Amino acid sequence: MKPRTAALAMLAAMGVSLFPSQEAQQERSVWDGVYTEDQAERGQPLYRKECGVCHGDLLTGGEMAPPLAGGDFLANWNGLTVGDLVERIRKTMPPNKPGKLSRTAHADITAFLLKANEFPAGETELSGRTELLQMIRIGMTKPDRNK
Amino acid sequence: MTNKKTGALNRLALLGVVVAVAGTAVAVWGQSRDQSRSRAGEWPTYAADLAGTRYRPLDQINASNFNQLEVAWRFKTDSLGNRPEYKLEGTPLMVNGVLYATAGTRRAVIALDPASGELLWVHAEREGARGAAAPRQFSGRGLAYWTDGKQERILYVTPGYRLIALDAKTGVRIPSFGKNGEVDLKLDIDQTILPDITTGEIGLQSAPVVTKNTIIIGAAFREGFTPKSMRNNKGYVRGFDVRTGKRLWTFHTIPKKGEFGHDTWLNGSEEFTGNTGVWTQVTVDEELGLVYLPVETPTNDYYGGHRPGANLFAESLVCVDLNTGQRKWHFQFVHHPLWDMDLSSAPILADIKVGGRAIQAVALPSKQGFLYVLDRVTGKPVWPIEERLVEKGEVPGEWYSPTQPIPTKPPAYSRNGVLVEDLVDFTPAIREQALKIISRYKIGPVFTPPVVSKAGGPLATLTLGTAAGGTNWPGGSYDPETHIVYVFACNACLSPVGLVPPPKELSDMNYVLGTAGQEVRMRTGPGENAGADAARSPATRARPGAAGAAGGAAAGGGGGGGFTLGVQGLPLIKPPYGTITAIHLDTGEIAWQVPHGETPDLVRNHPALKGLKIPRTGQSGYNIGTLVTKSLVIAGEGQVTTTPDRPRGAMLRAYHKATGKEAGAVYLPAQQSGSPMTYMLNGKQYIVVAVSGGAYSGEYIAFTLPAPEETGGR
Repeated sequence: MKPRTAALAMLAAMGVSLFPSQEAQQERSVWDGVYTEDQAERGQPLYRKECGVCHGDLLTGGEMAPPLAGGDFLANWNGLTVGDLVERIRKTMPPNKPGKLSRTAHADITAFLLKANEFPAGETELSGRTELLQMIRIGMTKPDRNK
Repeated sequence: MTNKKTGALNRLALLGVVVAVAGTAVAVWGQSRDQSRSRAGEWPTYAADLAGTRYRPLDQINASNFNQLEVAWRFKTDSLGNRPEYKLEGTPLMVNGVLYATAGTRRAVIALDPASGELLWVHAEREGARGAAAPRQFSGRGLAYWTDGKQERILYVTPGYRLIALDAKTGVRIPSFGKNGEVDLKLDIDQTILPDITTGEIGLQSAPVVTKNTIIIGAAFREGFTPKSMRNNKGYVRGFDVRTGKRLWTFHTIPKKGEFGHDTWLNGSEEFTGNTGVWTQVTVDEELGLVYLPVETPTNDYYGGHRPGANLFAESLVCVDLNTGQRKWHFQFVHHPLWDMDLSSAPILADIKVGGRAIQAVALPSKQGFLYVLDRVTGKPVWPIEERLVEKGEVPGEWYSPTQPIPTKPPAYSRNGVLVEDLVDFTPAIREQALKIISRYKIGPVFTPPVVSKAGGPLATLTLGTAAGGTNWPGGSYDPETHIVYVFACNACLSPVGLVPPPKELSDMNYVLGTAGQEVRMRTGPGENAGADAARSPATRARPGAAGAAGGAAAGGGGGGGFTLGVQGLPLIKPPYGTITAIHLDTGEIAWQVPHGETPDLVRNHPALKGLKIPRTGQSGYNIGTLVTKSLVIAGEGQVTTTPDRPRGAMLRAYHKATGKEAGAVYLPAQQSGSPMTYMLNGKQYIVVAVSGGAYSGEYIAFTLPAPEETGGR
């Protein structure tokens, strides 16, 4: 982990409390360490098995499937929430059997996507509950919280 | 009127039930329509005309007012299937006062009032297991219209590969066509579709073409990255009688014994090799009585060791007789295809003047960024296309063509190879990281061969202008007055092409697409096993176990998370990421080229690029089609951005067609996913475009100008 990321993860760990404390009700962003390394590690093989067949092992997309990393991917989700992303996955993916994966699996795969897109890991796992994920904003750039 | 509309709405409510139960359509709208026909104001076929131009000489919407365009209506397609679709690729037709389109995960056909977007009728087919097994699902790209002056018909191909004829007025099947309004396209095809009619792999997502009394139907298959077998069904092209549905002719895209080109398949490989279909739009010259077929890759996009030889008519433009389907001429653009350079675009018919000589030409945009220009009567190149020596690869068992055809003119209009000078170089540090990433890959110019993937490198050949293109299925557009082709191209759609031996239980091929050290899996794409019928069936694809070492971070690295082919999230390739190019067919020169699309948010806001002045980069993507009018070239953006002056969304942009200078832009809530079209109705010009992607489900949006008094009388 790069020093910047590590520092962010630490900050995130300090700044973000576990649900259902009051602080968790505030909107967070993907820069706040909203998943854990362990969770992303669980998500990686799931991604490769369930998503990589179309979106590519390097998340570059396929002939007919969009990339899931980098600017092309973030363009689709910048300004929306992790909940929006997970709902899209839940409703339509994998295409031959949407809804086949559990909410935990969706969260783990999403954690892997966040990691692949270089958002920092933290101490709290990404929840499988859409309403909580809708409080996590996807932003390409780190919010300025220099306090 | 009010009562009538209410009645229609009530009946519409009922309609949903009827369609769901019976899978047939019901007429709900019988209002007499304005019978005065102005062909110039209509959009009667997928690409505006059978010449593939996407051109209408309309000028009410022009540079002076483009920015004032307002949404006339929207049509959301969510309910036309059992879940929303995020890949709406259709271009509607507008004929005789009605707009027709395909839509939704069930590929329903809808008829709309072109002024209001009101639903007039809907037709849908439930195909069960056959639909679920179809290789190309979702809403498809469109449909065809036919009339003899009295009857009007709509023709479309279902995901399960059945040709359906509907009464354009009612949406009800035409009983006298085929068997009760349908032709089973898996039958009468000069081969037995294997393994059976229900699951046999063959389908079509493009719009049928109707010319005079003939319907022309091609074929598509699943992605060709990782076939289960070197054996597959063949993508023959057929002509059908528009009145009866009777097959008139068949063109064998893989020649049978005794047919021309058979000897370009060595070791009897023509017998078992499949694919080689025509999945994009077909073009017709009705006067010459000629049909132009752009043919795709044979079985396995990247490994041809099982099919030695040049492999005619793979990746060839084939001209056949409209009445007989007999070959007149062909031109193979890639010998022994190894790069997935399917002929992806509709051929464009252009009457041009080169060096004072009038030529009836056909111009073909391509994934590899070449615009091939041929005499469409003889098949001879307008400017020399030279056979040049290309690198021979080292994949065991592969057969290599020593040369490939390279056009001398026009110059390539998009990147078709990866060279060091193409790498991102915003800052020296970023460039260093890019160099580090590509050190694990083989790179080179167009036709650099694929490699066997090795963990120690090369992991793959990094390619541009292959799977995605370049120019993919939307093709280009053409102005018959100025003789200029306008075409969008992705300039940064990277495809790593590495080959690995698959486990025998997965595929009988020697090599399929894959990465060393990673489990080999069958690659699929949305649209395959994904439509409304799919979710009703249990998972149909077994995924046997791993081969070789599992897991492990793949390539990438640099500053990245170790998973992707980018540098700090930035594309590995430098801008422009996507362009629109104007190519003058009288001279073979590029008239202008502009980046198409707002600079992506990530680039605009990237911390490592702070303080750098980066001109508009355009956007990567492969699904942007252009529209040409009297004065404008119009295309939406393929990505969503958020800028200081507007909310997140995309822009529908217009360019002065003479110069490429931007003439205006209007807001779209999501990216363009189907090519725009235009029409005149009751004195007003409309532009309709399909948008979808990311979190935004499919929607057709129509734009028109505000009422005259609000435009200041201009």
